[in-house]
Amino acid sequence: MFMIYKEMWNRRKMIHTLSLQEMKREYAGTVLGAFWGLVNPLMRIAVFWFVFSVGARAGGPVNGAPFIAWLSIGMVAWFLLNDGFKLSQKSFRSKRNIIKNTPFPISILPAVQIAFAFYTHLILLVVMLVITAIGLKSISFYWLQILYYDFAALMLLIGLGAVTAPIVAVSKDFGRFLDTILVFLFWMTPIFWSIENLKGLEQLWFIEYIVKLNPFHYIVQGYRDSVFYQVGFWEQPVYTLYFWGLVFFLLILGNYLYKRMKPIFLDLL
Amino acid sequence: MEYAVSVKSLSKKYKLYTDKWGPIKEVISKKKLHNEFLALNNISLDFPKGESIGVLGKNGSGKSTLLKIITGIAEPSNGNVDVRGSLVFLDVSSGIDAELSGYDNIFMKGTLLGYSREEMQEKLDDIIDFSELEEFIHQPVKNYSSGMRAKLGFAISVNVNPDILIVDEALAVGDSIFREKCMKKMNEFKEKGKTIIFVSHDKNAVESFCSKAAWIHKGQLVMYGESKEVCRDYQLFMSGKRSIESIKAEKTLINMVEEVKTEGQYNSKIRISGKLYENSTNSSEGSYRIKLINNRTRQHVTIPIERNRYNGEDSEIPKERLSTAGFTASVQLEEYSQFLLPDNYSFYIQLSQDGNWAEVPLSAGKEFSAVQLDSSLPKFRTEIITLNDQLSIKVENHKKLNEQVNKIWYEENYLCLEGVAYVKELETTKESDVSLNLILKNKETYESKSFKATMLYTKEITDNSSLNPEKKNYDYSHFSCKVCLDDLGEGELEAYFHFEHLSGAEIYASAWASLFQNYDTALREIGHKTAEVKTVSKYLTIELKKK
Repeated sequence: MFMIYKEMWNRRKMIHTLSLQEMKREYAGTVLGAFWGLVNPLMRIAVFWFVFSVGARAGGPVNGAPFIAWLSIGMVAWFLLNDGFKLSQKSFRSKRNIIKNTPFPISILPAVQIAFAFYTHLILLVVMLVITAIGLKSISFYWLQILYYDFAALMLLIGLGAVTAPIVAVSKDFGRFLDTILVFLFWMTPIFWSIENLKGLEQLWFIEYIVKLNPFHYIVQGYRDSVFYQVGFWEQPVYTLYFWGLVFFLLILGNYLYKRMKPIFLDLL
Repeated sequence: MEYAVSVKSLSKKYKLYTDKWGPIKEVISKKKLHNEFLALNNISLDFPKGESIGVLGKNGSGKSTLLKIITGIAEPSNGNVDVRGSLVFLDVSSGIDAELSGYDNIFMKGTLLGYSREEMQEKLDDIIDFSELEEFIHQPVKNYSSGMRAKLGFAISVNVNPDILIVDEALAVGDSIFREKCMKKMNEFKEKGKTIIFVSHDKNAVESFCSKAAWIHKGQLVMYGESKEVCRDYQLFMSGKRSIESIKAEKTLINMVEEVKTEGQYNSKIRISGKLYENSTNSSEGSYRIKLINNRTRQHVTIPIERNRYNGEDSEIPKERLSTAGFTASVQLEEYSQFLLPDNYSFYIQLSQDGNWAEVPLSAGKEFSAVQLDSSLPKFRTEIITLNDQLSIKVENHKKLNEQVNKIWYEENYLCLEGVAYVKELETTKESDVSLNLILKNKETYESKSFKATMLYTKEITDNSSLNPEKKNYDYSHFSCKVCLDDLGEGELEAYFHFEHLSGAEIYASAWASLFQNYDTALREIGHKTAEVKTVSKYLTIELKKK
């Protein structure tokens, strides 16, 4: 049932090396190299902060946390989810040259891309945490909870990657569709608007629950809970249970899809 | 026998959709909307350990698909593959990443093949050395030439030291020095008891390098065996000399002529009998016939055969086939008097299979002794012989015609020839003693036309003491002949002489024309055609073409 994840675990060293190669490849020919992996997200955070707090004048503190810090931490989580998902769903398609030429366990490819996204994320995370710690002049043990949420994010990404990558390998249209979904999720997930804002809508109370169904929200909210609000994941057991149930389901489905579709997408790639 | 790779009843099907919505429509409507393409059809093959095995086949025959399945890059639709040992697959692009430098690619490929960075570090010097890339190793591969890429790919693949190396046409790109180096390296490989599977459409590479070879055609295994044999048959097929059916039939169709008897007046009827059966499990038992072919012109006739009980002794024939394992064929030579002119002819057995005629030589063993048909065809000496273990007929003139075309020129629409023709000991004192015809035979259609030559009085041969020491009379030994080119169809026409003497002797010989300077060989326009006299082979041919 978990055949491909066993494979990933057995080949964790290979995944690690390949993801570093991937980083090398990504920044091959640039002078600044992996530095760009930091500059790009920082710029995006800056743009969003400018648009919302200066342009739209919506940048008030969120439950006591300064908007810029609140936005940044949420975005750090979002970038991991976004990049990991985007890269892993395309992983079979983008690595077709290798798949078609070299015999190796291709089931690890989504994991390679997720590891690549994760390493880029780690750099950004460390930088952002340092800046936040200096800016807020406070630090707490709850920050360690980010390790848990990173782990949760990785598991979610592996599940999503395992489910989507084989389908994208067969259908290019599905890949386009997922890209569109990602944009949708970005705006629908409370990343630069607080979920608190939904509480004002009396008749549309269910929207809050729909938004919460999005597993990405669990991670983004978890990041903020850890850094600003000192809330443990055990304090919302139902939501945590829902998240892991979903991850579990995705993992099983991903394994099944991979086994079913491998012969098909090998021919179609 | 220990094998490195074993393939059992392997098939690979590809679905070909003409409509890009096809796959979706098919799921919804459950109708079959694709054409199936069988890239591999039930292939079973063992690749023995420690040998180099060639896989031959023309482009699109399925050989690369077979390799991809062996390496695990593609999945079979049916059957299974068993690979024992580590395996490296090498083809022209070899999964080399164009963005990375050659150096990084070494580690990248190493990682994919399951080697750690440290292990690759050890092999690094050997690889860079072997690749001859020197300072270019740190350049991005996208700037490499195709030869350099192939060198890098090969250098990595052979130096990681796998148990099985699979090479797919990869050597076609490198220069000859590098190719030699690769061959040397692969030979070292073989000596270490490792297995090489070498895929090519070039039989020379396979023949020189591989001890065994498999030949795949249209997804089916045609032959598997010693590389020399396989390459020879592959070559015969590729050059268009033999069909696949014939090559397959040669392995399974056992035939042997055991007796050739002559009967009838002048012994002109010959009866050929022997054994003939198919030694294969899926015997189709199609219809058989004999083909008699002129070895030079490829003109042929077919002769029906009768299947009957085999009465000889042969324990290899399956019992249930004995009742049809014999054959007899009767040939009435007079029927073929227009066909059996002086030349060599060979017998083949033809077998019809799904509308195609496969043919194999009709074999005659060493114990078969030639049958001379002395008086069967009084015109020519006819002999049934074995030529390379194949039953053949040799037809020769009884006497030699001394002939030469002296002059060729055009007169309006006529081609005029003059020359000498006489046969020693056949005296020609009067014009009526001799009759000579020039025959023009189309090389492709075998259509022939005969033109009567006029014999002219001359003392040239009669008085020539070196040609005629016996002082016989050859007064009518000059000929003159006019060929009306309007009557002839297009094509290349070979010229023959048909010489008949009052005594009854007949001789049939190609027209000898070696006096080039006396011939008008310019291209000539005759009506809607052009004519050209050709004597390159010293035998006269005339080529007629549409203008």
